[in-house]
Amino acid sequence: METLHYLSLGFGVALQPENLMFALIGCFIGTLIGALPGLGPANGVAILIPLAFTLGLKPETALIMLTAVYAGAMYGGRISSILLNIPGDEPAMMTCLDGYPMARQGKAAEALAISAIASFMGSLIATVGLILLAPLLARFALTFGPAEYFALFVLAFATLGGITGKNPMKTLMAAAIGLIIATVGIDLSTGTQRYTFGVLELYEGVDFIIAIVGLFAVSELLFFIEEKAGAGREMIKVNPLKLKWREILSIFPTSIRGGVLGFIAGVLPGAGASLGSFITYTLEKKIVGKKGYFGEGDPRGVAAPESGNNGASSGALVPMLTLGVPGSGTTAVLLAMLVSLNITPGPLMFTQNADLVWGVIAALLVGNFMLLLLNIPLVGVFVKILSVPPMYLLPIVTMVAFVGIYSISHSTFDLYFMIAFGVGGYILRKLDIPLVPVILGLLLGPEMEKNLRHAMQISDGDWSILWSSPLSIGLWLVAIVGLLLPVIVGPILRRRMQAAKQHTE
Amino acid sequence: MSRFNDRVFGLVMLAVAVAYYYGATQFPVPFGGSEAVGPETFPKILGVVLAICSLYMIVKPDADNAWPAGRTFVELGIAIVALIVYALLLEPLGFIISTTLAIGTLCWRMGATPLKAYLTGLISGIVVFVLFTYGLELPLPLGLLELN
Repeated sequence: METLHYLSLGFGVALQPENLMFALIGCFIGTLIGALPGLGPANGVAILIPLAFTLGLKPETALIMLTAVYAGAMYGGRISSILLNIPGDEPAMMTCLDGYPMARQGKAAEALAISAIASFMGSLIATVGLILLAPLLARFALTFGPAEYFALFVLAFATLGGITGKNPMKTLMAAAIGLIIATVGIDLSTGTQRYTFGVLELYEGVDFIIAIVGLFAVSELLFFIEEKAGAGREMIKVNPLKLKWREILSIFPTSIRGGVLGFIAGVLPGAGASLGSFITYTLEKKIVGKKGYFGEGDPRGVAAPESGNNGASSGALVPMLTLGVPGSGTTAVLLAMLVSLNITPGPLMFTQNADLVWGVIAALLVGNFMLLLLNIPLVGVFVKILSVPPMYLLPIVTMVAFVGIYSISHSTFDLYFMIAFGVGGYILRKLDIPLVPVILGLLLGPEMEKNLRHAMQISDGDWSILWSSPLSIGLWLVAIVGLLLPVIVGPILRRRMQAAKQHTE
Repeated sequence: MSRFNDRVFGLVMLAVAVAYYYGATQFPVPFGGSEAVGPETFPKILGVVLAICSLYMIVKPDADNAWPAGRTFVELGIAIVALIVYALLLEPLGFIISTTLAIGTLCWRMGATPLKAYLTGLISGIVVFVLFTYGLELPLPLGLLELN
């Protein structure tokens, strides 16, 4: 009942004309970002943060817009999977398997429509899941003390590489690099200058927005130049849509299963949208069995991964909103937005910023309907923009990143910093060191240190407080499992995903 | 397959870790005496973690990804220089001119014909400038184009 009350409060916020408008803009931009290969959701949201800032939007409006972008990107990812056989973002990889064959058979429009409906179902189910689960988890999280939080942060880092991650040591290293960068600047509780080397610009620390935009946007540009992918690839033409009700109804069970599974994968640490879409696809293949023709353009093979990854992306908001610990790159970037709006993420947000949290949740529901409408009749618009070759697109995106960063502080120093982060990000990616933990380290570093300090003050300098309660022991155990599991299960899962992909090529 | 990258990076990060740890030991004692967790504790932990990861990378390196060689390397260099020059000239030349130059160069080097490339730079520069200065009331520098 209480939840319903808050939800109606949330709708009150989400349905304000200004918020509706920004949600629509966000949905549109998000779909675009998702559709463009090489402009992943994390990257896209990162570029928009400085703009949301300089626009002087209200916190809830800014967050609603960016959440809409996030949801939209998950929709958009499928467009390039289906038409180009290149996933617009990583989770959309599984959509290539049946989407591209469908498009080649002259059923591109049907594939796009089915995947939009499946995305809608997945998102809807997961958002309902979010509404039910988030308040419970937030209430539970209120019992966390500083020691538990410290363990939780460690868990977040340990599981961030995901079960499919390649080398957990590299994830850990990336996290350490991020945390180290976060210690630069004046120490908040003692005023000690740390690693500032007398440079005035470093006194306030490294602005993580600059770091995020540099790491994602600039390094992406460099990768495109290296791969000489400027001209883009040939795209399949979209035929006029002929979809029967029976066909839509036939994917309903698939979408529902996909949404539920995806949601679970999204909530769990270390699983994420990529695994969500993979699991739903494989499971669907098992359930349908010989009756299906998966890999050769089965509509259910399009619906399953799409509902799965949209479900997972809404699910991933649960730990981000309730615990302040994001489970994926894009939610990490959304968290960056919250932190820079001076909102402390975590369980208290549900009581202190109820209108904001519930406004965002309601906006997810509203946005989902907008996205469905945008993605079925207007899919042609996105296809048009998708045909702009990257050689024009990426430089323009880079310019938008420049303008965004410049307009925050009007200082060119920040721009050099951004370029440096871009080159650094390029090198890290070359070494297979993931960038998301670096960003998470930058974001969570101050909170993590603060919690460590509080824990030690409570225990009067006794380190064992960090693993003294059953809850914190549990969190440490999950963290250890999260680090070890990829070593054991990772290679098997990765091989299967690769095998599934090669099967269609 | 060579495994240089991880080893070299591991060595570099090991040096960083040592320097970082040493830096943490040099912090002045905060006003009011030291506590169980001072400003140096967290960095020290991080230094140790980074050192362990670096050692792991040195001992068990992954196979290398190839670095760009020859022309591609030069192209990457051009792109980075273009970005730095963009930042450098943004204020003196103004947003529109510097955007035309920088974005044009990037488009051109990525494969567009020079005319189309610089035209893209010019048009996108003007559009963003107008949008920001008049639409959002966030003035961008006009530089050389400023009247007076």
